[in-house]
Amino acid sequence: MVLSKKRTIDELLQEWQYDEELKQNIIHWQTLEAKPAHYSPFPQSLHPSIQKALEARGIGQLYTHQREAFDFAQEGKSFTAVTPTASGKSLCYHLPVLQKILEDPSSRAIYLFPTKALAQDQKADLNELIELMGEEILSYTYDGDTAPAIRQKIRKAGHIVMTNPDMLHSGILPHHTKWVSLFENLKYIVIDELHTYKGVFGSHVAHVIRRLKRICAFYGSDPIFICTSATIKNPKELAEKLTNSKHELIANSGAPVGKKTFLFYNPPIIHPTFGVRRSSILEVRDLATRLYEAGIQSIVFAKSRVRVEMLVTYLKSLTKNKIKDESIRGYRGGYLPTERRAIEKGLRNGTIQVVVSTNALELGVDIGQLQACIMTGYPGNIASAWQQAGRAGRRQDSALIIYVANSTALDQYVVQNPNYLLGSSPEEALINPENILILMDHLKCAAFELPFSMTDGYGEFEVQQLLEFLQDEGVLVKTSSQWYWMSERFPAHEISLRSASQENVVIIDQSIPAGTKVIGEMDTYSAMTLLHEEAIYLHQGTQFQVEKLDWEEKKAYVREVDVDYFTDANLAVELKVLNEDKSAKYKTATVSYGDISLLAIPTIFKKIRFQTHENIGSGKIHIPPLEMHTNATWMSFDLPENWSEEMLTDALTGAAYAISSFIPLYLQCDRNDLTVVPQVKSVHNEKPTLFVYDSYPGGIGLSERVYDILVPILEQTIKHVRNCPCQTGCPSCIGAQDSLNESKNKVLKVLSILLSEIE
Amino acid sequence: MSYENKVMQLKQMLGKKKTDVKEKPVFQKPDKPVYIAKWQEAGLAVVENDFGVLFKRQVEYPLQYKHGHYELGLFYKALEKWQSTGAEHPYLIDIDEEVLFFDTETTGLKGVGTNIFLLGLLEPTDKSFILNQYVLADPSNEAALLFESKFWQHSKTVVSYNGKSFDWPQLETRWTLNQQFLPKLRVQKQIDLLHSSKRIWKNNLERMKLTQVEEEKLGFKRKGDIPGFLAPIIYADAVKSGDATNLMKVLYHNEWDLLSLVTLYIHSTNLLLENDLKEAATTYTNIGKWYGDLKQQQQSKQILVNVTNEFDDEEAGLAYYFLAFQHKRNRRYEEARHSFEKALKVLKSREKLKVLEQLAILHEHHFKEFKQALFYAEEGLRITSSSTLFKKDQQVKKLEEWKKRYTRIEKKLGK
Repeated sequence: MVLSKKRTIDELLQEWQYDEELKQNIIHWQTLEAKPAHYSPFPQSLHPSIQKALEARGIGQLYTHQREAFDFAQEGKSFTAVTPTASGKSLCYHLPVLQKILEDPSSRAIYLFPTKALAQDQKADLNELIELMGEEILSYTYDGDTAPAIRQKIRKAGHIVMTNPDMLHSGILPHHTKWVSLFENLKYIVIDELHTYKGVFGSHVAHVIRRLKRICAFYGSDPIFICTSATIKNPKELAEKLTNSKHELIANSGAPVGKKTFLFYNPPIIHPTFGVRRSSILEVRDLATRLYEAGIQSIVFAKSRVRVEMLVTYLKSLTKNKIKDESIRGYRGGYLPTERRAIEKGLRNGTIQVVVSTNALELGVDIGQLQACIMTGYPGNIASAWQQAGRAGRRQDSALIIYVANSTALDQYVVQNPNYLLGSSPEEALINPENILILMDHLKCAAFELPFSMTDGYGEFEVQQLLEFLQDEGVLVKTSSQWYWMSERFPAHEISLRSASQENVVIIDQSIPAGTKVIGEMDTYSAMTLLHEEAIYLHQGTQFQVEKLDWEEKKAYVREVDVDYFTDANLAVELKVLNEDKSAKYKTATVSYGDISLLAIPTIFKKIRFQTHENIGSGKIHIPPLEMHTNATWMSFDLPENWSEEMLTDALTGAAYAISSFIPLYLQCDRNDLTVVPQVKSVHNEKPTLFVYDSYPGGIGLSERVYDILVPILEQTIKHVRNCPCQTGCPSCIGAQDSLNESKNKVLKVLSILLSEIE
Repeated sequence: MSYENKVMQLKQMLGKKKTDVKEKPVFQKPDKPVYIAKWQEAGLAVVENDFGVLFKRQVEYPLQYKHGHYELGLFYKALEKWQSTGAEHPYLIDIDEEVLFFDTETTGLKGVGTNIFLLGLLEPTDKSFILNQYVLADPSNEAALLFESKFWQHSKTVVSYNGKSFDWPQLETRWTLNQQFLPKLRVQKQIDLLHSSKRIWKNNLERMKLTQVEEEKLGFKRKGDIPGFLAPIIYADAVKSGDATNLMKVLYHNEWDLLSLVTLYIHSTNLLLENDLKEAATTYTNIGKWYGDLKQQQQSKQILVNVTNEFDDEEAGLAYYFLAFQHKRNRRYEEARHSFEKALKVLKSREKLKVLEQLAILHEHHFKEFKQALFYAEEGLRITSSSTLFKKDQQVKKLEEWKKRYTRIEKKLGK
């Protein structure tokens, strides 16, 4: 082992230039030069106490984006500020809000954070600022943890209420009469981490905000929206769609950026035929060790909790001979605030040198700035990658960012094409408030909160016919002038903002008979393959076996086990086209977009041994089929001449695998948000067809975008599969293959047929 | 055009900061529901005020009207009793207070989407009790219903069953929704008989549902009553179908609730003020404890002593227990010891452990009888370690305490 010696980033990089072993794995090496700060003076009108507080913090002037924010707010305009990590984004909203409260103490503001933990972090920061101001301004978090004793006070007297969308949805809006002074005087609604409001969650929150605006209008207030977002392709569009209000955009940050060096690191191939590379975890362990020994404070990102735990265990062996050494720490979601404080403090005063984290830290939790960042695998989209990279870089210092590729298709693409990450604009974040199922759910809540008149709309929607439908359902009554809620149900409790499916399966741990406890929840669709009886369910790195699944009651009873296998379940899928909204016909191919119905039938599960991956048992799954309506884009074409159906099956399966890997290049979504399913003989036209559908009931607009950008997706997929160094297909392109055959060529053939037709 | 109007008009033309001109919206009187005649047929009267229409049912009861064990007129006797004993108590009603028995029926359990569809008010007057039930004609006529309650006009003593945490906050919610038009809701003094019932019949009644209290304490059994949870469905149905036949049953249900409030108040007063021991020992022990918590030691002691005199030791265990604490507080250690010893023979579980603890303390610190103290500590230790009462960490803590006590006493014994 090399003797540890402290070095700077620059010194370390200098060394690495001559390290041949390391260098052969570094595919690309790029330095982004430092950018100086751009400042603006304090605004004339800025209240003296605020100025005093800022000066006490050593701030003598504002960054340009902070000043721009203040000016927009003074003009009464809603705006969205795109702010990289550590650019002082919170002042973009604190300043206008505090200014308003000082001018008129009856003013109120709501701060919305995607999670409870973020709200609590921000509260500490804000209260410190208020203390420096020496003014009587009350700010509180209001969430499930808020003590009943102070709730009353928050409702009546809190100037700034910091909460999350879930609490707003079920704890505040349905009880708005208890919050009269808030709603009558609401001047600002701050939405932090705007980019997290995408997909199903974003679509739900869009409705929560429409309901909020409706209640504000009832009490006579018309608040201004202030959003802050990480870099995404469409911040303004997302903000406008989320809030249904016009937004100004602050696109340029005035904060300084230090010199950043990016290394694109690909683990070496250890099995050339199958294209198998060395595990990225092991590579990361070695790289992190080098950084640790050079005394460089680093953050390591891993995608799952299990990987975080693995890396922490590996790295802690570096310190095992030291007593009470805390210099290497894990950081996952679900940590208590006190624990987090301790880690943050440790990072600031240097007692912690390496922190290994899941993407929980992507969000704005303040851990200060570190020197280096290692990404274990591509986080799935450019926006997240930049957020993680943003964790490294102290103001004046050089920063080092190492991206270590996994062997998946997308990871390999990114490592081979550094410009994709460094040069191109990040993905779009999509929401779909028009999802009729989500809309109807929130329309019920809205009707519960305030009656609708015969002429009222809801947000941008015309809803009179929908209200009539709800009347037929028996939850509304129509009087001479209005629609009223008339049911004992409490509609907000029937909706979870975090998933589109109504019901979740609750996971109950009964390892200790006297102390059964709920350890998690899962949507019904995923539960079919992950929580069937005998399934091995992984939770925080612990194995549980599902002992009993009560499908009626949506409860899964699990017990902790220690086994050397995992389970893998099969799901047979039947797809039916219900309605074609868009369609383009070519010579032999057709591409369409529309509504589909999907019948998912769980069939069997296999027990597969770790390491060897041998099949050591199987069983039937006894869960009734699940039906779902959603949106899809599908492509049909003619069977190539001389192909058997079996050949086609393999080719389509491989093509589906490859395509689904590349969709996240274009849309900011999780791989699981969209599903690609091959059908050798589709029910509706009896032709080979690839379906790309939204994985959530009703759809969230992803597959519709796929319809528009199919050509680049296919081009990209073909290019990547062709360029993949493997011979017959591997996990990096078309998925692992059982045997050496012609699959790769067949997949390319299918994809080429489609592309040549559509282009 | 008047000068003011002209100025107002000019101001609007100025077109500056439109949001600052907060106009009070004009109230639009809602239409009457189409089913008025049908609801009248069912037995409801129509009332119309500035805010719309509502339905009403009125019943007058003579003072001699008997509901269960009691005549309603005895309510005045109850007030006199409070007056003559000069006792101080949160449930005391002064003879010149204006009283209103209050109960609502709603379309749900919580949230702004829950309507009050029936406001039941029972008012004692010199000659009779007058019941007024106001029924929401339909949700758009809500302001009319609220206005008719007169809660904006008077400030009275409102007697309810769980009204403090349910009915009244619900009324406040409804009022807030209509605040643009209605005069302000006034604060009323609240007396919640659910709270007093819980204090009086703890460990005596299994559930504190009003119907159970009626049957077991007030001598009233309902016939043909609809269960309360059906009320929302019945009201919704009446609005949707226009047929109020079933709705009348909800009104009777509400009427019984209100009548029982009167007799419950009478009965509770008798229990609190007259020590005539018609109920079980638990009831009087509870009452004695309540006075104790209200810092009325004299009253408390008298009642508890009475329990120990009149009931056998088995039944009087808890009374001894509370008495013992009083004695101890007043430094009558010998009496305290005696009472704790009595209680020890009867009580179980948590109370028993507390008694052992107290006896150990008394013997260790006041009587310096360490042998005896050690005996109690040993007993406490034994019971705690085999007990299933506590959670794991709680049990560990308790054991710790007992062990500390035990070793300390051992030391004093010179072992």
